[in-house]
Amino acid sequence: MELSTLSGLIMLIAVPVLLMVGVPISVSIGLGSTLAMVSILPFGNAMITASQRVFTGMNSFSLLAIPFFILAGIIMNNGGIARRLVNCAKVLSGRLPGSLAQSNVVANMLFGAISGSGVAAAAAVGGTMGPLQEKEGYGKAYSAAVNIASAPTGMLIPPSNTLIVYSTVAGGVSVAALFMAGYLPGILWGLGVMVIAGIFAKKLGYQSAEKPTFKAALSVFIDAFPSLLLIVIVIGGILGGVFTATEGSAISVVYSLGLSFIYRSIKVRDLPNIFLEAAKMTAIVIFMIGVSSIMSWVMAFTQIPNLIASMLLGLTNNPIIILLIMNIVLLVVGTFMDPTPAVLIFTPIFLPIVTQFGMHPVHFGIMLVFNLCIGTITPPVGPILFTGCRIANLKIEEVIKQLIPYFIVTAVVLLIVTYIPSLSLTIPKLLKLI
Amino acid sequence: GKTTEPSKTNEGTEAVKTQVIKVAFNQPENHPQYKAMQQFGEKVFERTNGAYKIEIFPNELLGPQRETVELVQTGAIGMSIVANSLVENFNKKFSILGLPYIYDSKEHQNAVFTDDTIVGDLFKSTADNNFIVLTAFHAGARNVYTNKAINTPADLKGLKIRIMESDTNIKMMKYMGGVGTPMGQGEVYTATQSGVIDGGENNELIYANMKHYEVAKVYSYTQHLMIPDLLIINKALYEGMSEEHKAIFNEEIKNATTAEVDLWEVDAEVAKKTAQDNGAQFVYPDIKAFQESVKPLHDELTQDPEFKKLYDAIRAKAETVKK
Amino acid sequence: MEAIRKIVDKVLEFICIAFVGIMTGLVSWQVITRYFFKAPSAISEQLSKYMFIWLVLLASAYVFGKREHMSILFIKEKFTGSISMVVDMIIELIVMAFALGILVFGGYKNVLLTMAQQDSALPITIGVIYAMLPICGVLITFYSLCNIVSIAKGFSDREVPKAE
Ligand code: NA
Ligand code: NA
Repeated sequence: MELSTLSGLIMLIAVPVLLMVGVPISVSIGLGSTLAMVSILPFGNAMITASQRVFTGMNSFSLLAIPFFILAGIIMNNGGIARRLVNCAKVLSGRLPGSLAQSNVVANMLFGAISGSGVAAAAAVGGTMGPLQEKEGYGKAYSAAVNIASAPTGMLIPPSNTLIVYSTVAGGVSVAALFMAGYLPGILWGLGVMVIAGIFAKKLGYQSAEKPTFKAALSVFIDAFPSLLLIVIVIGGILGGVFTATEGSAISVVYSLGLSFIYRSIKVRDLPNIFLEAAKMTAIVIFMIGVSSIMSWVMAFTQIPNLIASMLLGLTNNPIIILLIMNIVLLVVGTFMDPTPAVLIFTPIFLPIVTQFGMHPVHFGIMLVFNLCIGTITPPVGPILFTGCRIANLKIEEVIKQLIPYFIVTAVVLLIVTYIPSLSLTIPKLLKLI
Repeated sequence: GKTTEPSKTNEGTEAVKTQVIKVAFNQPENHPQYKAMQQFGEKVFERTNGAYKIEIFPNELLGPQRETVELVQTGAIGMSIVANSLVENFNKKFSILGLPYIYDSKEHQNAVFTDDTIVGDLFKSTADNNFIVLTAFHAGARNVYTNKAINTPADLKGLKIRIMESDTNIKMMKYMGGVGTPMGQGEVYTATQSGVIDGGENNELIYANMKHYEVAKVYSYTQHLMIPDLLIINKALYEGMSEEHKAIFNEEIKNATTAEVDLWEVDAEVAKKTAQDNGAQFVYPDIKAFQESVKPLHDELTQDPEFKKLYDAIRAKAETVKK
Repeated sequence: MEAIRKIVDKVLEFICIAFVGIMTGLVSWQVITRYFFKAPSAISEQLSKYMFIWLVLLASAYVFGKREHMSILFIKEKFTGSISMVVDMIIELIVMAFALGILVFGGYKNVLLTMAQQDSALPITIGVIYAMLPICGVLITFYSLCNIVSIAKGFSDREVPKAE
């Protein structure tokens, strides 16, 4: 066996073992990969290279968008912005069967369009919508399932922290292009959830709301307008070349903070705690990114992806089947792993393979993130599932049966996203981003 | 760079220990420097009877350029091709190689890079930092592109041109008449389109590959910068070679350096054709006025007598390569 | 040890809060200078990037102290009682090995290596920037020790029957 293959094997065994013991994901990846490195480089060099990689992995201006989007998310959560978006969503989807549940989906998509994380949407929107639905006689598990199933759309609809992470590990795939590519798949996911929610609402006899008067609708829109304007400012600014995604994220912090001060929902003395919370959440994500770049280096150095590719291509060289295998692997991985580490681990393995048969890195990124988004709502590890259940005061077992139809519909949308590249690539192409 | 494996190519004869030298590179496989390095690798493998095998890792696989310098320093990898500015961070004298208008032509530049009496000492000057510069590769000439022809410094007046982030570049653009605006390469297209900047300055390859001709239609051959990329090698690796192998390396790298200029020219012509087919216009200004305008930069950087010596040697070489 | 830990916590919290505030200001300022004043700020991008890396390293150490880094727990949760404490301790030791080997030792050697390398935009050497790696390693080691002590305390509290 060649030395490099051996070292690759060390990594492929050590990392999962450490993970299973419950060692923090960052340390599992870092230590497992460094062990592999020690087998190919002198000890001192391996340590220097590993420490340098931790730094290199974080040394990117586009990653700076993540703390800002996290911070903006926390501010919006506390800032009366979520409530206004919910009101707006209620007007938008009021006539559909199970209108309050439909509003929940729309509000999650709207919240997702200004925030980078799905967990924040599940908490902010679900927290407002759940009690309203209960008052109208909707089943608690039904409402929670709709909220949980639709919250991940925020990770596909830009801005999206997960897509920024992918952009960095994929070697600088344009963040703007990925953002634009996420719109249609994200919206399609949301629509899929609305269809299922509607069918069940009909069956259960959940009413649609009365049509609001024009005046009432107008006043809701005017009230929500400054919050909605954030979509235009951030996404428009990025597309118009006024600023980068990173700068856009900082603008989004300043803007949402300003709004929250005006709405008097955040006070200056709340800021230290908000900032500390953002720092902690940032550290958890970015430290993992830094450390996992040790692994991507070992993979490149030992050419492990080539090995895996030739094994996979030995089975079949049909791109349709290869993508199907990847989807299954990612769905399984997604059940027990959070999106960020999964992106960090699987991008360097899978991306070189799919580009060989001509798949666009932007399209692959959307497929990858879509897969892992499904993982956020499946047990045993599902951050959005956990948050949604906690907000609704329900046990996971009580909600999971209600979620099954949504798993099926998202899996169908996943297949559409996988095999119809234009769904992801049309908008970025129209905007000449790719 | 210390990985060894038995050579499998010299069939029949006894297995020779082959030392694999991993080379970090930030561009894709179709880049002229990659092709030149591949040719270099084949020659070296052949002439050393399989003692050295060059393995190039394109697309930043082994890390961004600055970090690969450190990997070469420690010997984690053998070689890397890096921007001149990165080596300037170790020895400021390298900035002479990247001065605007220091070379009259790419032939002049190549004559300088293959002349050990000019660059020999400079290339070894980083030995204290555990690496040595093996050669300097031509990396194209940078020219200004915007929506009007630039024939004189006056034409650049008030125009915001994207430049690489450095004080020297900001000053250079000021002397040339424009306003230098540093920003990331990826943002140039949209920034030009939306009017945040008026254009950029780069070689034909970038101009065509990034479709900048769609937003900045006139490419003016101002030829203001001809900054090389440097091939660096771990010091212990280089010094551990036998005299015979070292001689082969030195000779073949000079051949590769010269061959790369032609490879570059081929690609530049293709790029130019692509841009022209898409409506771009190429103009050839008289660069004398621009050359004069940046003289203060030359004076500023050659106050140190050591720097002046290198500068004079490079300029003197210009006379010997007059067409 | 608990007293020192409280002080370290407070200092790190203060730095993290300050960094987040300053970074937001710096990047917003960059948009303003570039777009409204048309005078690009060459160093603000590099400065905010390095602040970001320092923030992540310091805040990571802090989060290691709180044991809040992401990990896969559904298998570990199967363990109970003293076995679970032993596993917890092994995890802390593994974290410590990571911190000492890669961040402290590797990071320190990296600092030495890059002390001569000038940064491209800021008037400092790369070594100064890298210095946060070993500092972060030392902090993580400290927190791991603290955690081991408190795990052991929980262990002995359980094992030793209360004196009547
Ligand atoms: Na989003
Ligand atoms: Na899951």
